[in-house]
Amino acid sequence: MINEEAGMVVAQLPEDSPGTTNATRTHPILPGEPAIKIRPESLPVLSNLREIWAHRELLYFLIWRDLKVRYKQTIFGVAWVILQPLLMALVFAVFIGRLARVPSDGVPYAVFAYAGLLPWLFFSNSVASGSQSLVANNYVITKIYFPRLILPIAVVGVRLVDFLIAFSVLVGLMLYYGIHVAWSILMLPVFIAQITLLALGISIWFSALNARYRDVGAVLPVVLQLWMFMSPIIYPVSLVPQGWRLWYALNPVSGIIEGFRAALLGLEFNWPSIVISAVITISALLYFVYDFCRRQDSLVDVI
Amino acid sequence: MRPIIEVRNLSKRYCFDKRVMANRNLREAWVKALKSPVERFYGRPALREADFWALRDISFEVEPGEVLGIVGRNGAGKSTLLKILSRIIKPTAGEVDMYGRSGSLLEIGTGFHPDLTGRENVFLNGAIIGMKRAEIKTKFDEIIAFAGVEQFLDVPIKYYSTGMYLRLAFAVAAHLEPDILILDEVMAVGDAAFQKKCLAKMKEVSREGRTVLFVSHDLMSVRQMCGRALLIESGKLLDVGDAESVVSNYLLKICEAGVEN
Repeated sequence: MINEEAGMVVAQLPEDSPGTTNATRTHPILPGEPAIKIRPESLPVLSNLREIWAHRELLYFLIWRDLKVRYKQTIFGVAWVILQPLLMALVFAVFIGRLARVPSDGVPYAVFAYAGLLPWLFFSNSVASGSQSLVANNYVITKIYFPRLILPIAVVGVRLVDFLIAFSVLVGLMLYYGIHVAWSILMLPVFIAQITLLALGISIWFSALNARYRDVGAVLPVVLQLWMFMSPIIYPVSLVPQGWRLWYALNPVSGIIEGFRAALLGLEFNWPSIVISAVITISALLYFVYDFCRRQDSLVDVI
Repeated sequence: MRPIIEVRNLSKRYCFDKRVMANRNLREAWVKALKSPVERFYGRPALREADFWALRDISFEVEPGEVLGIVGRNGAGKSTLLKILSRIIKPTAGEVDMYGRSGSLLEIGTGFHPDLTGRENVFLNGAIIGMKRAEIKTKFDEIIAFAGVEQFLDVPIKYYSTGMYLRLAFAVAAHLEPDILILDEVMAVGDAAFQKKCLAKMKEVSREGRTVLFVSHDLMSVRQMCGRALLIESGKLLDVGDAESVVSNYLLKICEAGVEN
């Protein structure tokens, strides 16, 4: 009657454990604490994070699935990931850089624009598909349990892979224009981490919101478009009037993009803006994770 | 001996109230938010009118190694009960303790992706239903042999016939080996030969000492497979006992209802 599971449990008990008599051996030995407790109250955030860690293999498989499916269906495969920012940078370089003569902090405009578009597209693509993550997988989440937070996290993971692939073109562009990296490049991972955390926070928020109010899917593209023009993607912050700068820095994306570009191209860091954006990013992420954990129990009932 | 599953006073309420459902839409949620101070002033109508109790005060225990059947009419609350036990939805009240790893199969092939190959889907589906990667790897050949799709392993499953698809889905599901297995009529797939194979697999599972919870409309298989059974009607637990008597009780109830109509 003893199955493998029971064998494992027995092995974990200490040698002198009083529970391991013959009478209890005929059946799987049950641990004192229930392995699964189901209660009406929602799980605290920490238990949710522990659950995600326990399901990390599933997270890996979901990321793997999305990458695999995407690259199977398209002719160009991986090329699309590079083409999107590249074509956008090209168009902006011609119309904004050449014709409108928008300055670019002394860097060739094409590099300037690409270095801004790269993190921005990572962010906006993450949020756009992250907001759909629960709704798109509703046939799975109504049939099987796993921590729901895994779905928006997996989407951001997929986009992070795209981002790293598209990053290689940036390296090519910098070599072509002969731009030397400075010590500031050491800050680059910090900004990549920060844009990832911000993308995570906003995706988590919108995914829960979209499950309840489908209108969110319709509003989001407009929001993202406006957000892009309110961030220093295709123009430098130096173009923003001094009096607006504080308000401008309240957009967490602006500090990250500025920092990303400065780290990469050896420009000067704008510390106040970077700190403001870091504080907003962290608090937004913490709040939205907390909010998600609170809402997730009613999600399946309303989705 | 201590039960492996303890269910105490489990209840689930759904609100189909117009005012609650209105929240489904952003515009209406705003309108409601604007209106609510006014309504609060004039006193709100009772919210509880349209509440629907899908489950009401269900308590039972399951011993380790037991195969428990759950029967009842459509809409009786069987699936709600399984969904709560599978942690897909939360109960409104009551609690459940499980002393073991649980796995549930409310359908087979959850998360199968049409563009992925049979091989890839085995891994994806296995991970979704809660198997470890190493576990899927060691059982992989067995799963494929069980499904009988060896030649089509590297073909996207959108080109599979319905039968092949279902057999592969069931094969993965059948190799999930938790302490507690929660099943919702996943047996009803494939041709007669395959169903026989599935029944045999089920029997093997219960012989291994696993605990199984099993919802089915197929009263024959409930009689064959289950030691005990629950009868649920309108969200309430009507009868618990050995499968044979619960099933006859259930049949009797259906006949009575038929006479009344």
